[in-house]
Amino acid sequence: MVKNELIRTYLNEITTGAEELGKTIILMEVCGSHTNVIMKYGIREILPENIRLISGPGCPVCVSAQHDIDCIIALAKQGIPIATYGDMVRVPGSSSSLEEVRADGGNIFEVYSTTEVLELKKDNPDIVFFGVGFETTSPMTAFLLKNNVCVYSVHKLIPPAIRILAQENINIDGFLNPGHVSTIIGMKPYKKIRIPQVITGFSPEKILQAISILIELIKHHSTTVINGYPEAVREEGNIFALDMIQRHFSIIDSEWRGLGVLPSSGLEVRNDTLNAKKVYKDIISKVTSAKKTKCRCGDVLKGMIEPTGCPLYKTSCTPQNPEGACMVSAEGSCAIYYRYGK
Amino acid sequence: MAIEHIGLAHGSGGKEMLDLISDYDLSYRGNWKNYDNDAATLDIGEGRLLVFTTDSFIVSPIFFPGGDIGHIAMCGTINDLAVIGADPLGISLALVIEEGFPTADLTKILASIKKISRTTKTPVVTGDTKVMEKGKLDKIVINTAGVGVVKKNEVLTKQIKPGDKIILSGGLGEHAVALLSKRFDYTTTIVSDSKPIVEEIKKVKKFIKVAKDPTRGGISASLHEIRQRYNVGMLLDEESIPVKPGVRKVTELLGINVYELACEGRFVCIAAKNLAHTVERILKKYNEAASIIGEITQGDTIIVQSVLGKRLLPIPTGRIVPRIC
Repeated sequence: MVKNELIRTYLNEITTGAEELGKTIILMEVCGSHTNVIMKYGIREILPENIRLISGPGCPVCVSAQHDIDCIIALAKQGIPIATYGDMVRVPGSSSSLEEVRADGGNIFEVYSTTEVLELKKDNPDIVFFGVGFETTSPMTAFLLKNNVCVYSVHKLIPPAIRILAQENINIDGFLNPGHVSTIIGMKPYKKIRIPQVITGFSPEKILQAISILIELIKHHSTTVINGYPEAVREEGNIFALDMIQRHFSIIDSEWRGLGVLPSSGLEVRNDTLNAKKVYKDIISKVTSAKKTKCRCGDVLKGMIEPTGCPLYKTSCTPQNPEGACMVSAEGSCAIYYRYGK
Repeated sequence: MAIEHIGLAHGSGGKEMLDLISDYDLSYRGNWKNYDNDAATLDIGEGRLLVFTTDSFIVSPIFFPGGDIGHIAMCGTINDLAVIGADPLGISLALVIEEGFPTADLTKILASIKKISRTTKTPVVTGDTKVMEKGKLDKIVINTAGVGVVKKNEVLTKQIKPGDKIILSGGLGEHAVALLSKRFDYTTTIVSDSKPIVEEIKKVKKFIKVAKDPTRGGISASLHEIRQRYNVGMLLDEESIPVKPGVRKVTELLGINVYELACEGRFVCIAAKNLAHTVERILKKYNEAASIIGEITQGDTIIVQSVLGKRLLPIPTGRIVPRIC
């Protein structure tokens, strides 16, 4: 239940804090699920004018590179069974999507949880899991690797993205750090990034609390990270999950849609015999990707424009016929804006 | 827009399905009315209407806490008759079964069907059984069609107007969360809400104008359908929409919208302002969570009033997929 009293308290704190600041500040919510709560409750609209919220790259489906999507589609077209999470099936590649390959008879399976992949493997021994997501889903993919399932990994790490955005988009004054990712990685990886950050949860009162704390930090020129979600996030994170990631993945430079190649920001399968990119290198080496010219998903992901600033938004790009990844995923900024009638 | 293939979203009961069926107008309707409703009606004289509806059922898993596919196949069709205001007369049952399906499971499914048939006094009067080659079908598909009769003055398609109240017969999301609990293998005390609503509707029938069971697309799709049919707006009070804490936790964890989740034993209805509390009181005897959740307004949108202000309730589109972030 939404807690009215808390909400009033935080809103008051925010209003007072904003007045004392006396300048406009920009805060970025990194996580797509945060964007959803913010849009659902119209939090942008109720904030004082000088507190601006912008959405970041925290939608795993959206940041997956075009080339990786094209590669997995190429594997599927060769008849290799592919399992992945729902939204990934609809993301358009250069010329097709997994959904279209499935309609043409391809073996594409949507799963809610990786344990379903183990079941599927019984009838499809050469199944490839298209592993997507941040530190939240990578431990589950590690569990599949432990059980000898072949994986095409596009797993990515959140802290390197925050670091780059803090450096490049110099307008950002502070970050709302993702709650679920932080349950896995804890607080340590954020501490090296010198900018105000608050880890927070997914209720409107949690988001408002985090904004209120960020204003305080900015006011006092403090570049620290605060755990605003202690009921779920521990200082050290989830040691077991981190160990699973470490055992089965190595950290590599990785391409993000919109952000380019970020150093040490991706997870690659350690065991070559379970790495689909190595196992099927003959197919993958022939894949070429066409660049989409008008789609501005990249700028949306960096917080440079709002979805409404893209010429395709709501014209040729809709949730029914998405052109860019940000319109596909329920966690994508464009789909969320569309949903809540912007 | 021309589409090349049918996608799963076309079967999710949202915008895609409406677009698809409006593309294929079958046009010849004879004397049937209400063909855009849950059930179509035919005037059979003596102040009575024949009511006819059909539905196909696919569900994974086929057994879940609080029910099974047979249970919802009966309830779904009987409830579609009930929300028009009709007493069910009889039902047809068509089974399409995958080769190799365990007979023990079929026995359980048929036992559920028999039970609902008895408790609602709806005889299963005709049927069909087909078996498809292994791998050509996922376990079992059930189709049921039902007929009923209703007195003309009791048809629940009465005109509604601003000021009328919207009443929900019980908590949202319980069926969907029960299904998800099986799929994710977590423990919950939530069981499916699947049940026939014939009795409840009968008791409130004379006090209400319109009713609808929020199956696919949930309460969002149902309310938008009513809104479009009657050209009205709606204002919902978020605090009064009943959702069990166990349901809320799961939907928040998975990032899915409880207003879009299917119920199998609930209905929303519209009543005049002065009768709304009577309806609420009667429905509370069946489910204490039953509540007045909002009112009909002028305009063409559905607005949800929460403590943070007002927002639009969107029409469901696409498929419901748990978040991965």
